[in-house]
Amino acid sequence: MTTTNRGNATSDELDIITRIRGEVMGNREPTGENLFLAWGYPAAFFLLLQFVALLIWNEAWCYWIWLGTEFVGIPLMVYFLRKDYERTGHRSLNSNVILQMWIYVGCACVIGAVAMGMAGVFEYCFCSLIALLSSMGCFLTGLILRFRPKTVCGVIGTALSFVSLFFQGDLWPWQMLITAIVTIITLIIPGHLFKQYVKNYELI
Amino acid sequence: MSSFKFPVINPLLHNELRLKIMVALDSLESANFMYLCEITGSTRGNLSVQIKTLQEAGYLEVSKSGSGPSARSVCRITRKGMEVLHVYEQGLRRLFSERVPGDKESLQKIG
Repeated sequence: MTTTNRGNATSDELDIITRIRGEVMGNREPTGENLFLAWGYPAAFFLLLQFVALLIWNEAWCYWIWLGTEFVGIPLMVYFLRKDYERTGHRSLNSNVILQMWIYVGCACVIGAVAMGMAGVFEYCFCSLIALLSSMGCFLTGLILRFRPKTVCGVIGTALSFVSLFFQGDLWPWQMLITAIVTIITLIIPGHLFKQYVKNYELI
Repeated sequence: MSSFKFPVINPLLHNELRLKIMVALDSLESANFMYLCEITGSTRGNLSVQIKTLQEAGYLEVSKSGSGPSARSVCRITRKGMEVLHVYEQGLRRLFSERVPGDKESLQKIG
C-alpha cells in the first residue's frame, strides 16, 4: 500500500465511523410510549382504592393495597419493553438511562415503604415520597427526551408532593388522594401526550 | 526528517463490516441481529461470521432472547470493545491529520 492509498483508506474508515454513528444516533424515533401508561393506570387505581379503603375501614391491611401496583406494573412493563425491542430492533443509550432510572425509582418506593413501616413513620411521609420520586422521574425523562409536557408535569407533581406533607393525622388518607392525582399528572397525562407525539412522529 | 510514528492499527477492526458493527453498537445500549443487518447493509451470513469473530476477540457479547425459531440474538459492545474502538479511531485520526499533506505532495510528484 503506497502512502497515497493509505491516506485514502484512512479517510474511508473515518467516513464509515462518522456515517454509521450519524445514522444510529441521528435516529431520534421516540419509543416506550406505553410504559408510562402501564405504570400510571395501575398506580392511580391502587392508590384510589387505598384511599377509599382507608376512609371506610381504616385497618392495617389497607396500608399495603398500593403494592398491587408492582404486581400489575412489572409484567406490563416487561411486555411493552419486549414489544418495543421487537419493533425497533435496538435500545438507545437514552432509552436505557430512562429505563434504569425508573427501575431505580420503583425500587426506592418499595424499599422506602418497608423502611418507613419499620421506623414507624409510614403515615407521615410515604405518599409524599412516592409522589416526589415519580415527579422527579417524570421531570428528568422530559429533559432527556426533550419533551416539554413531561418536564412541566414533573414540576407540578413535585409541588403537589410537598403540599401532601401538610395532610397529617386524621387527614392522612387525603395524602393518598393527592398522590393518586400526582400519578395522573406525572404518568397518565404525559403518557397520553407522549403516545400522541409518537403517533405523529411515525406519520412524518 | 519527520519524527512521525505510525500508530498501530488494530487489524481486526480494519474491515468495513466489522467496523460498522462496532461503531453501531458503540452508539447503542444493544441491538438485535436484524437491526445490525439493516444498519450495516450486509447479508445475514456475512454478518453472523463477523459477529462471531468480534465475539471471540472479546469485543462483543451476544445473548439469545427467547427460544426456538423466534429466538433473537442481542449484541452488546464490551468495555474492551469500546476501548479498542476508541484507540483505533484516534489512530486513524492521527494518521489522517498528519500524513495527508505529505500524501498530496507525493501524489503531485507522481502526477
